[in-house]
Amino acid sequence: MNMIVHKSDWRIRSSPIRSWLAAGSLLSLLSVLVFSVASCSTKTREKLVVGMELAYPPFETTDTQGNPTGVSVDLARALGAHLGREIEIQNLPFDGLIPALKTGKIDLVISSMTATAERAQSIDFSEPYLKTGLCLLVGTNSAVNSQDDLDQAGKTVAVKLGTTGHTFATRQIKRAKVLVLDKEDACVLEVVQGKADAFIYDQMSTFKNWQRNPETTRPILKPFQEESWAIGLRKANKDLMPDVNRFLQDFRARGGFEELGDRYLKEQKQAFRQMGFPFYF
Amino acid sequence: MPPPWPLRLVNLGAAFFLIVLLFYFSFHQLNYHWNWASIYEYRAKFVQGWITTILISASSLGLSTGIGLFFALAQRSRWLALRYFSKIYIEIVRGTPLLVQILIFFYVVADAFHVENRYLVGILTLACFSGAYISEIIRAGIESVGKSQLESAKAIGLTRAQTYRFVIFPQALRQTLPPLAGQFVSLIKDSSLLSIISISEFTLNAREVNSSTFSTLESYIPLAIGYLLLTLPISMWTRHLEKRHRFNT
Repeated sequence: MNMIVHKSDWRIRSSPIRSWLAAGSLLSLLSVLVFSVASCSTKTREKLVVGMELAYPPFETTDTQGNPTGVSVDLARALGAHLGREIEIQNLPFDGLIPALKTGKIDLVISSMTATAERAQSIDFSEPYLKTGLCLLVGTNSAVNSQDDLDQAGKTVAVKLGTTGHTFATRQIKRAKVLVLDKEDACVLEVVQGKADAFIYDQMSTFKNWQRNPETTRPILKPFQEESWAIGLRKANKDLMPDVNRFLQDFRARGGFEELGDRYLKEQKQAFRQMGFPFYF
Repeated sequence: MPPPWPLRLVNLGAAFFLIVLLFYFSFHQLNYHWNWASIYEYRAKFVQGWITTILISASSLGLSTGIGLFFALAQRSRWLALRYFSKIYIEIVRGTPLLVQILIFFYVVADAFHVENRYLVGILTLACFSGAYISEIIRAGIESVGKSQLESAKAIGLTRAQTYRFVIFPQALRQTLPPLAGQFVSLIKDSSLLSIISISEFTLNAREVNSSTFSTLESYIPLAIGYLLLTLPISMWTRHLEKRHRFNT
């Protein structure tokens, strides 16, 4: 019976000397590898990579073929033409845009991003190119008529992760419950089903979401926080900033923004003018 | 006989050092501005999310084991309808993405039945999802018991229930433990998908911290460690159980 060697005896699989040798050689091999590659330099690229979340029509979205389209896409292409550089659009989730910019995966953020003080600590912003404001989408039968009505115990507010609406809710909403969701559609659905009392978002999207769900929702378009959108750049990328600002100035002077507004936002433009809310690039 | 402890220690150290070196190298290349101070302010959020994840995972873990056991037995039932029902359930759940199941369960099914508590819906969805996998694991364990054993059981006059209790389950248990541990580990990780219906569990809270501090890696590294703290004990515990049941059969 002593002849039977149990399966779990380690000697069957490896001798002690071999084990020591393997550990030692692996270590030295990896150390050499690490320290030889550690001195590699970072690469530069010709293309300008623009990051945006293609889930915000009509600013950033995809056409039926899956190609990026919208106000921001046209703006990015015009910027590329102005700088004489090729543009590559990269689709990223909104809360991943700033990290991607910081780590150099993208060069610019053109994604209807509001220039806020918090974000400005991490990245630089160009001159603003569009002004809008935060407002509310509420259920048809909701008693909520203003931001003050909303912030009551027992009320629920939906916000989209990483947006200025989210920041606003974390800071200003004290008594109501805040639901943080990944997608704009989910926020709207929460309001439609009455699970949330309101969805805090920008005026143009709120208008669009109301038009899609006219029976179940009602917009309160009066803005309670003004915001302006700008192009985001990496802090280290100081050279590009003057070029981007010059482009924005030039594009405005050429009537480029007017043209974009007519092409993509005709309905909103008219509606907002009728209601007396400022709408301008 | 295990290897002598100094050799074990050195080899463990070597393996660990290798992994650390690999990550050190990768992070060194990144040239990243670390900002741990901003994350530290949000520590309460991490802890709260971690506890929520534990509670959700533990509840659906218990529930899914019950569901899995039921459907594993239902597949061997004498009623054909019950057998078909469990087959269809398992195929649908295993063949569709959990993300879609969560959305449909919460926004369609739960809405129809007026279940407003999203945590309850989350636990149920997760349990149903995991239960389908567990039932297949248990079924495989049961079927691994040889036919001759069942015939022997019949020969000595055991009833159906007794056969399960004294012959099938003790043997099936050892077969099912390793895949079961794997399933429990993935259940814990899958609970992160519940963030899409705004359940403020570990992942969603880390993402919220990320979106307000823009310190991605600093938010996600604690997340990885937090999940590891939950999944490692499960692996170790099942390994221990496996050892204990090794000579029982």
